[in-house]
Amino acid sequence: MKKILRLQTIASLAFLLFLTALGAQQAAAQTPDPGTTGPYAVTREEYNYGNLAFTPSNFPSAVELIASVHHPTDMTNGPFPLIVLLHGRHATCYKGTQVSLRWPCLSAQQPIPSYQGYDYLASTLASNGYIVVSISANGISAYDAQVTDLGMQARAELIQRHLNQWNTFNTVGAAPFGTKFVGKVDMTRIGTMGHSRGGEGVVKHYLYNASLGSPYTIRAVFALAPVDFNRPVINNVALAVMLPYCDGDVSDNQGVHFYDDARYTAPGDSGGKNTVLVMGANHNFYNTVWTPGLFPAGASDDWASTTDPHCGTVSGNKRLTSAQQRGTGLAYISAFMRVYVGRETAFLPILTGEAPPPASAQTTNLYVSYHAPDTAATRRDINRLLNATNLSTNTLGGATSAAGLTPQDLCGGESPQPAQCLPSTQSTSRQPHTVPSARSSARGLSQLRTGWGAANTSYSNDLPVGARDVSGFSALQFRVSVNFADSRNPPNIAQNFTVVLTDGTGATSSVRVSDYSGVLYYPPGTTGSVPKVVLNMARLPLSAFAGVNLTDIRSVQFKFDQNLQGALLITDLAFSTAPTTIQ
Amino acid sequence: MTLVKHFKDGRARHAGLAFGLLVLLFACASSAFAQNNQSQGLKMSDLLKLPGKVIAEGANTRPTGKFRAAKYRVEEVALPTATEVKINDRVLSVNKAYRVTVVGGPFEVRAMPAVIWINDTAVGYGVENEDLTEITAVTFDESLIVEGASIFLSYGDKKNKEDRAELPEKLKLGSAKGGRQ
Repeated sequence: MKKILRLQTIASLAFLLFLTALGAQQAAAQTPDPGTTGPYAVTREEYNYGNLAFTPSNFPSAVELIASVHHPTDMTNGPFPLIVLLHGRHATCYKGTQVSLRWPCLSAQQPIPSYQGYDYLASTLASNGYIVVSISANGISAYDAQVTDLGMQARAELIQRHLNQWNTFNTVGAAPFGTKFVGKVDMTRIGTMGHSRGGEGVVKHYLYNASLGSPYTIRAVFALAPVDFNRPVINNVALAVMLPYCDGDVSDNQGVHFYDDARYTAPGDSGGKNTVLVMGANHNFYNTVWTPGLFPAGASDDWASTTDPHCGTVSGNKRLTSAQQRGTGLAYISAFMRVYVGRETAFLPILTGEAPPPASAQTTNLYVSYHAPDTAATRRDINRLLNATNLSTNTLGGATSAAGLTPQDLCGGESPQPAQCLPSTQSTSRQPHTVPSARSSARGLSQLRTGWGAANTSYSNDLPVGARDVSGFSALQFRVSVNFADSRNPPNIAQNFTVVLTDGTGATSSVRVSDYSGVLYYPPGTTGSVPKVVLNMARLPLSAFAGVNLTDIRSVQFKFDQNLQGALLITDLAFSTAPTTIQ
Repeated sequence: MTLVKHFKDGRARHAGLAFGLLVLLFACASSAFAQNNQSQGLKMSDLLKLPGKVIAEGANTRPTGKFRAAKYRVEEVALPTATEVKINDRVLSVNKAYRVTVVGGPFEVRAMPAVIWINDTAVGYGVENEDLTEITAVTFDESLIVEGASIFLSYGDKKNKEDRAELPEKLKLGSAKGGRQ
């Protein structure tokens, strides 16, 4: 009889897994690819008002007012949303293969057209009905080391100056376009994407535009491999941060602070937030002008340690080609802009993690985290793990308990938590969530630091009355990383554990994390800034928890029953679902 | 007006003299300073241009290490007027600054700022010159300029000593014409 029951259980589980896999496949099948070329023929143009046409405030030099424009050739269906791209800091001038950092360039030199390095993205977005402007910021690159904020206010003002220009194009027209764009630009639907220092630039710009009374409506801000020197925080706007794991420039992936810092600072925050950790990606290859072989000067693979088994160039490495890497940018920047600027909600599952990476991403070796808007319908935080209280009482007011876990403390957040979660022997560049910023003393992400070395170990969060009906949510999620600095994690072997939901009748349903998510990977690499701890989202669909009453869930338990020992960093335990509409 | 910058971490106290702060510090300098030096309008760009006396300089010309650093140069810069700075939590009046330059390259233009170190103290964030053969940081702290000190270059976090590259020569005062003997 026991054997029959066991077989029935196995069969049920197999069927459940099949259904879940089928669900994922259906989600993938139903989710279109945002990175494919759309129906519009595209025209590419540029405008150039001069190398010294604009002077940012308190900046040592005037800078250029130059940009490229990709737009639908036939604009009768306008107005179209506007996407603004801003490159990062790079050499500014070249002659032959020699580069320099001055602005304007000497007469014998040519400007390095960093702004042209995202044409692959701009043309695809334009083909799908967007006007895409990519701004040149060489003048800022040449002088930003001489100002305290390392050029962020200047970048914000430069973007605003271009938006003013586009407002002119849209209302009365101006050279060199005449009246071509009059009435064709939707200045209420704008998205910005900045790469590297441009990443903090677009975040700063959002705040600058707001300080001016929000003359332009920014719907989405995407920071690609960004720096975060000054720790600006933006809320009530869609925010995404893409983090290349093998970044050899912003090697500490400090841009993750944008996401971490914005999560709980504004009650009712309407902005969805994302991080996308791209394994095998470096800093430069998102820009074709910075990519060796695609531009004659100043291009490099910024990841310098060739011997690293993941990020290096030795046999068996996991590096992406430059084309693959651009694919990840194309796919996720397109998805993000098309969802939040264009309200093309069909792509939202790509951002929530419900759907796998689209084909245009050219890799599946990436990890998406999603923080839903702060509404009762879209997110219920079980435990934000922000302070010591959350070790005994969770965010919902329910009891929190641990059995057999050591340590079981918080790290990385506000004092008295330790500033770093790993031992002092580990470089801060391996701890993106807590790495210090150049111009801010803000602390990092508060994380639960936990580990086990025996059987019957668990971490539980009870749901109090009023918080037990989770049937309206689609997933249970949390962010987690394997703590590579803890020797209880055997090198290069993924961790695993079980999540158990218990309902009011005492019925339980268990799901292994590894059945739905690969986030419990052992962080790869051995040199420099890798391995590193990045907390990625594990998303467990609630449909996978069969046999419990989702209208009366009493507890969420992590049972560390898959491996005899291990150690993790955990935060952001929540029920979540995507919004049904985008503003 | 007094310069206000606190570095609670002792390892980084000297970094309070870093270049980036200079801009802020001078922008916030005393009204007397401003009144007496209105034509100076001192900013980092000015500090880089003020005449300096070389007090130490390396001799190696061959770029080495992962950042291609060859040698160092330390210049003493007379300020147009005395100004108050905070050094190790003490407010001091100084009339000199020190430019610490790493020579070599060509250095890559990066998103992360260059950091120049003397021994285990981050002097400050560096500024590249136009042809990318020099990176310069500025400090007011004379106590950093010590015989036999090691000089390092890194990028990014001023507390991260792991990823530094040491220059091949130790700081040697009096090694340059006009240096302290």
